[in-house]
Order: sequence, then C-alpha cells, then structure tokens
Amino acid sequence: MTNPFRTFLLVSLAALLGGCGREAAKPASDSRPVIALVVKTLNHPFFVDMQRGAEEAARAANVELIVQAAEREVDVERQMQIIENLIQRKVGALVIAPSGSREVVPVIVKANRAGIPVLTVDTRVDAAALAGAGGQVATFIGSDNHEGGRIAGQFLAEKLGGRGRIVVLEGIPGHETGDARLRGFREGIRAHPGMVVVASQPANWERDQGYNVCQNLLQAHPDVNALFAANDLMALGALEAIAAAGRRRQVTVVGFDALDEARAAVKAGAMAGTIAQNPALMGRTGVERAVALLRGEAPPVEIGVPIELIK
Amino acid sequence: MKVPTFIARHGRQAGTVAVFLMLCAVLSVLTPHFLTTSNLLNVAQQTVVNAIVAVGLTYVILSGGIDLSVGSVLALAGVVLGLALEAGWPLPVAIAACVLVGALCGVLNGMLVAFGRLPPFIATLGLMSIARGAALLVTDGRPVSGFDGSFRWLATGELLGVPVPVWCMLAVYVAAHVVLHRTRFGRYVFAIGGNEEATLLSGVPVARCKVGIYALGGGLAAGASVLLTARLNSAQPIAGLNYELDAIAATVIGGTSLLGGQGSVFGTLVGALIMGVLRNGLNLLGVSSFVQQVVIGAVIIAAVLLDTFFKRSRR
Repeated sequence: MTNPFRTFLLVSLAALLGGCGREAAKPASDSRPVIALVVKTLNHPFFVDMQRGAEEAARAANVELIVQAAEREVDVERQMQIIENLIQRKVGALVIAPSGSREVVPVIVKANRAGIPVLTVDTRVDAAALAGAGGQVATFIGSDNHEGGRIAGQFLAEKLGGRGRIVVLEGIPGHETGDARLRGFREGIRAHPGMVVVASQPANWERDQGYNVCQNLLQAHPDVNALFAANDLMALGALEAIAAAGRRRQVTVVGFDALDEARAAVKAGAMAGTIAQNPALMGRTGVERAVALLRGEAPPVEIGVPIELIK
Repeated sequence: MKVPTFIARHGRQAGTVAVFLMLCAVLSVLTPHFLTTSNLLNVAQQTVVNAIVAVGLTYVILSGGIDLSVGSVLALAGVVLGLALEAGWPLPVAIAACVLVGALCGVLNGMLVAFGRLPPFIATLGLMSIARGAALLVTDGRPVSGFDGSFRWLATGELLGVPVPVWCMLAVYVAAHVVLHRTRFGRYVFAIGGNEEATLLSGVPVARCKVGIYALGGGLAAGASVLLTARLNSAQPIAGLNYELDAIAATVIGGTSLLGGQGSVFGTLVGALIMGVLRNGLNLLGVSSFVQQVVIGAVIIAAVLLDTFFKRSRR
C-alpha cells in the first residue's frame, strides 16, 4: 500500500486545505471585533464596489471584515447557509444584502436568537414577513430605488420630448429592488401620455440575457425608440444588440447603477444616462454603523444613500 | 448486519470516508467553531436538500442513466406545494400533491427513456427546461411565501435535540438503502446498470423498472422541495438552479460509477456531507468566495481520484 501516488494525493489535499486555512487563521487569533458583510454575489461590479467601501471602513475602524457571497445572485438557500455558518463563527455583527426579501427572514431570526445584530444594505427585508416571524433588523442602508426609477422615467421623457415607444428590461421577477425601480419608472413617465411601454420583459439582471431579450424585442417592435433597463449590465447587453441591428441612433438607452462601463458609454454618447447608487458608500456606512452598534450606539431605522443621474 | 459484512459491502467507500474524516480533522484544527454540536447540526441541516435529491439520482445513475431535471422538478414541486398551501389545502394533501407532481415528472422522464428510446441526457435536459418554465408560468415568476407555523415546523422543529429535516434525511437514506439491497426492485436497478441487455433477456421488465427509477428520482426531488420551502418559508420558481450538478457531484464523490451498476446510497450520503462540510468550513474560515469555488472543485477531483485509487489498490 506504500504507493507514491496515494501519498501524493493525501499530501496535496492536506496542503490545499492547510493553505487556505492559514490565510484566514491569522486574523482569527486576534481580538478585534469581527463584522461580516454578506452580499448577493461578487460577480457583479456593484457588489465589488460595496465590498471595497466596506473594506475601507473596516481598516479605518480597525475591525476584522469577512465578505462572503453565493456564486449565483438568485441562490437564496446558499446565502442562507453562508449566514448560518457565520452565526456559528460568532461574528459580532452581520451586514446583509438579501438575495430574497422574504427568504432571508428565517435566518435573520436565527441571528437575533444568537444575539448577533443584523443590518441590511441595498435591498429591504419584507416588513410584514419580518414582523410575522418576530425578527429584527437594526437598520436599512440603501438608496431609494423607486425614486431612482422615477428620475430615469422623467429624464427619458424629457430627452424624447414626451413621445416614446419604450422597451423595458426587468430584473429577476419578484425582487424588491427591481420591482421598485420599475414602479418608479412607470410613475416617472405617467405625466407624459406620449410615452408608451410597448414591451416589458425580464432579462434577469444579466448582460447576455439583456442582449438576447433586446434583440428579440427589436424584432417584435421595429418602431421602438427608447429602452430602460433596470440595471446597467442588461443595458450594456442591449446596447450591443441595438448596435448590431444598426439602430444606435434611433434608440435612446437609460440604465441603472452607473457602473464604470456605463459611465463611459454615457460619456461616449452611446447611452443617454444611468442612475448612480453609490454602492461603495452603502458598504462603508454598513460597516461604520455596525461598529457603532457594537459600541452601543443605536442607528436610525433607515439611512438613505443619495441617488444621482449621470447624463 | 454484522460488522464484517458491513465493511465488506461498504469497503468500496473507504476512500470517501477517509476524505471525509480527514476534512473534519483538518477543519477541527483550523477553527474552534467547527467541532461543536450546534455547528455539526447546522452542517447536517444544510446537507439535507442536496442529500435527498442525490439519493434519487444515485438510483438513476446506478441504473446507467442520468437525470438533469431534478433541480427544475424541485422548483416546480415546491411552487405546487406553495400554491396549494396558499389556497388553504390541508398540509398532508398539499405535500401529497407536491410529491405526486415530482413523481409524474419522473414518470415522464422514464417513459421518454424507456419507451421513446431517448438518451437519458436528452430526455431529462428537455424536462429540465419544461419543469422550470412550468414553475415560472404557474407563479407568474413570483415567489410564493408566508406559511403557517405547523408547516414551518418541518424546518424549525426538533426531536431529541436533532432538527426534523435531519431525521427526514436519515429516514430517506435508511429506506433507500433497504430498498436497494433487500428488494427485487433494488437488485434490478444494479442489474440494469450492469448489463441492460442481459437483464432484459433474463426476463426483467426493464422498461417498467426504468419508469419506476425516474419516478423515484422526481418524487425525492419533490420531497426535498418540501423541506427547502419550509426552510426558506418561501417557494421560489427559480429555486434549485444547478442542484442537479451538486447532486451528481455528491453521488460521484460517494463512489457511484457514472457508467452504472456500481455504488451505494451510503456513499452518496458521505459525498453530500463532504460538500456540506467543505462549504461550512470555508465559511467559518472566512475564505474568499472565489477561492472557495476553486477549493470545492479541487476536493471533488481529489476525492474521486482517491476513491479510484483505493479500489485499484484492493484489486
């Protein structure tokens, strides 16, 4: 049984596990407070910015920060597991961007029972579900997505002189964030009867789906002259589809999130505008408030992060 | 069962068990939060859904097939349960409807494979899309949520200090083990996977068995959806994305051959536990999400390599 191959396997497995343990084992031994930030995914620049802001705040306040996320934004069960595991690790405070505003409730209750305060960022927890389960969230830090959608709608109406045939790309159905943006957008164009939404279809927040759905909608509605996407990734995908159809001049595109790439597209004139949410500030405020909370300062129920139109 | 017989039967899983124990040992050294009762129960609860889906898949894979639709079937069965509860159906009736829908999806898979002569990969790939679409259609894409306490007990309740879902998982495994090793149906599953032609020639109703195997797979995915829905207090039409891949991974780590005919449900349980422990441990250690994916992939490969090696060295 003394086979070199087997020894190699055992050693490499141990080294692999040991290696990734060492990286994390070091800060675990110190006595700084630990704050965990759990976002929806780290494949999206929005949450990467949020992580950066949180890291800056953690350095400034000298606390240990753990940032975790599921591989897929829609994986509510995986996010729940991550939070359960962090409760086991006995972190000082949890800052969560919920993947599902109702699905996150059971695990918030678990954190409450373990005496770990929960702060939410970006996406609100469903208030009725939380109250029904007897859970508590210390504060919500985020921007008003409804207001952002309204600003986008008004801007598009002004830009087109009140006459538009609009295609809307929605996020994943049932997400509080996306729903609020869409409601706001419809409210923003309501005062302009010439602004008509000819199609509103989900592209699930993703760039490639934004491309495909937009391509299909351009086929179905050749007279479209405006597009609103509930996030920039879908808007950027749509932009490519519009360019491929040779209709860049005819279709005015407005996105949401103000990603670096979208800002560049606005500057270059390919996109008309995008709504800036400042995720870095959300991450920073989340960690700062968590630190203050651990010192005994109760935060306000809600902290607004300013919204800005980039045009 | 006598201990030596148990070892003889499950000696095949020696490699998997070794990897599992090694993983636990390494994590216990690296973090004080791993080896605590509450964390171990936590890992067990997190393993339940994958483990139950994987049992059904183990039967399918043992018979030489594959089922890619289990994740979508889980979502469809889950929303059926959610809508039934929302409509005020009594809990047992709603659960029966949910499991029935799952089993019917499986029957459809089985008929396409056995009578339609479609390759299982294709038939179940088709159903994966159909079931997902149906789940989105019936809910209009929105999650169904907010159930009463008696249903939530399935996720939050405890018996003798152990969470209810963990008991459910253990019951499913004991039953699946007994059926596989103590019944004629179980022997047919192995026989079909080992040599389908010979099995058919020896008078076994292969087609009917296949329909039964896929129905079991769908029914178990639906059973897992009951526990998942209770856990999240919400039935999501987009639940279970990629769960078929997790279940295939658990089955294969557990030593079941993708070619069929060889494997066991006990191995699958250990496989599912390895994945659960690994994800839990990496969270406890605060390892970056990106590194986690690399480590999980590497451990899957290492576990199967080690298992293959143990088998070869015994020969």
